[in-house]
Amino acid sequence: MAIQVLNGLVYGALLFALASGLALMFGLRRIVNFAHGALYMLGAYVGYTASLQFGFWAGLAVAGLVLAALGVVLDKAVFRPLQHRDPLTTLLVTFGLALIAEDLVLSVWGNDTMSFAEPQQLAHTLSLFETTFPIYRLAIVGFGAAVAIGLVLWLRFSRVGLFVRAASHDPVIAAVQGVDTDRVSALVVAVSAALAGMSGVVAAPLMSLAPSMGADILVDSFIVVVVGGLGSLGGAFITAMLLGQINVLGVVFMPELTSLLPFLLMIGILLWKPTGLAGARL
Amino acid sequence: MRKSKILLTVLAAGLAASSPALAKDPLRIGVPTSLTGPYVELGEEAKRGALFAAAEANAKGGVAGRQVIVEFGDTEGNPEVGRRAAEKLVHSGFKLLTGSISSAVGLAIGAQLEKWDALYISSINKSNRLTAESCNPRMFRANHSDAMDMAAVRPWLKTRGEQDWVVIAADYAWGRDSAQEFAAAAAAVGKNVKAQLFAPLGTKDYAPYIQQIKDHKPAGIWVALAGRDAVNFGVQGKQFGLLGSVFAISQSFAVPSTIKGMGDVAEGIWGIVNYTSTLDTPGNKAFVAEWVKAHGKEPANFEAETYVAMKTLFAAVEKADSVEPEAVAKALETVSLDIPFYGKVSMRAADHQLMMPNFIGRVARVDGQLKPVVEVTVPTEQAMAPPSPACKM
Repeated sequence: MAIQVLNGLVYGALLFALASGLALMFGLRRIVNFAHGALYMLGAYVGYTASLQFGFWAGLAVAGLVLAALGVVLDKAVFRPLQHRDPLTTLLVTFGLALIAEDLVLSVWGNDTMSFAEPQQLAHTLSLFETTFPIYRLAIVGFGAAVAIGLVLWLRFSRVGLFVRAASHDPVIAAVQGVDTDRVSALVVAVSAALAGMSGVVAAPLMSLAPSMGADILVDSFIVVVVGGLGSLGGAFITAMLLGQINVLGVVFMPELTSLLPFLLMIGILLWKPTGLAGARL
Repeated sequence: MRKSKILLTVLAAGLAASSPALAKDPLRIGVPTSLTGPYVELGEEAKRGALFAAAEANAKGGVAGRQVIVEFGDTEGNPEVGRRAAEKLVHSGFKLLTGSISSAVGLAIGAQLEKWDALYISSINKSNRLTAESCNPRMFRANHSDAMDMAAVRPWLKTRGEQDWVVIAADYAWGRDSAQEFAAAAAAVGKNVKAQLFAPLGTKDYAPYIQQIKDHKPAGIWVALAGRDAVNFGVQGKQFGLLGSVFAISQSFAVPSTIKGMGDVAEGIWGIVNYTSTLDTPGNKAFVAEWVKAHGKEPANFEAETYVAMKTLFAAVEKADSVEPEAVAKALETVSLDIPFYGKVSMRAADHQLMMPNFIGRVARVDGQLKPVVEVTVPTEQAMAPPSPACKM
């Protein structure tokens, strides 16, 4: 059973790394980014292509950098011009972008399901709780933890983090105080996109590459963000961990309800706390 | 300039080849298949199979002097969309249908055939229902059903040393059927099925299922997962040390599209092999050579199986000397023909199932490439399950 809890932790960590970007973007710009799954998918494909030449770690780095650059473009070309429009417009535009990205990947990389090998150093198993467990999965837990700790340190203790918190609290007052909110926003979208892209690379050795991979995981990440409280990192963290456990325990104890449980969790928590676990605090 | 020259050459060649055919109606075949959606890789295979058979026939002057024309429709793998796509083909004069992927689409088309005055010959649908409770005078199957795959597995399973088995299957009609039939086959030859696990279609993380399988400590696992699900289960199962230490056999693992997705992980996995390019017969070698000439790579299972359905249809049109669905259906009931890789095959009138051999094999390295390789050939007499009493024409 302990091993199943660990399995839940792996999926939870991956979900958090992906959903943290969604939470950040919503916190700062009030953007519901339907293209977030597409960024995750693009990251995986870009990383895959780079890794064929230079290995897994270079693939991870390249995916992070390329997606960060894409994030800056996305912020300047899409989010900024639309910031005073109805949020529904941005939502529809990001949805359209996700469809375009999926078609683009389809025409460049094709429709075949591809698998992406984990790095050699981590392609082993460990004896744990009287069974064997892949080291790569432990590394995913480490990746999720590093993202969580990194984001907290950045937001709490750096000057830019202070600006991010100020701008998400009240962009107008922050701007009046001399914070360049456009710059802060470009940075946050870049970080979010880079995290999505790197999550795609990290997930790929488990979940194979397909153009639909982004759309597949987007639903789970939205549940994480909505249940956690839109825009809250702490809430997203708790929900991701909860969802990871529910996923695994559902399979073991209530196999007929596996696909329903995340939604039941969402309905239950939103009925109890309509603003999500953490309300709207960053 | 160059383009028009090619066009002229093609026209001239066409005229030369088809001069006796001018008098007869062309043979129009509609292929409602997955051009988009979750089964798009398989739909592309069906498309290539149909086009190859048509081109081969046309190069020889057509089928009984009739030019073969193929038209496609997109089913998106969805029964409702598939029914509409097929209806559109029928209304445009393509009344002889084949090539759908999902059994659900095949069944949806099958129910309308008599109303449309059309005919459908399955090339990929495995669900037993097509030739059992849903059978009808206009529906045929030229590929292996679930019952046939299991008829091949049963005697083979008896010879295996593995006593304890666990089933992992996709949680919908096909996976449930497959699990049930495997459990029955296992019980019949004195093996234990310790657990049957069902994962929803599109499951991303198989870790909780893999751990449960390991907890049961089976000697063998029966895997009824397809496409991306099969790839994810395979890759993750290897990471957990499950595949490689436990014997694995599956209905749809050992096919080129899945092998390509899994990479090295696929090596050593067993499977039902309905067709593989490595079949060691002179007829197959000639077929593979022709295919490679046209496509630059070896034929995959659904390409060859759609080719079989097309050839069966051609034989019936020749026999009936007509393209009217009613006459072709009548001729199909008793048709028999030679398929380069299966040898002599014939239709069983009782349930409209084509009778042919089946194979069990495993994924092995051939000339450096992973391919399904046949280990057991099951001759036609043993490969056939008896017609279902539920089928009333």
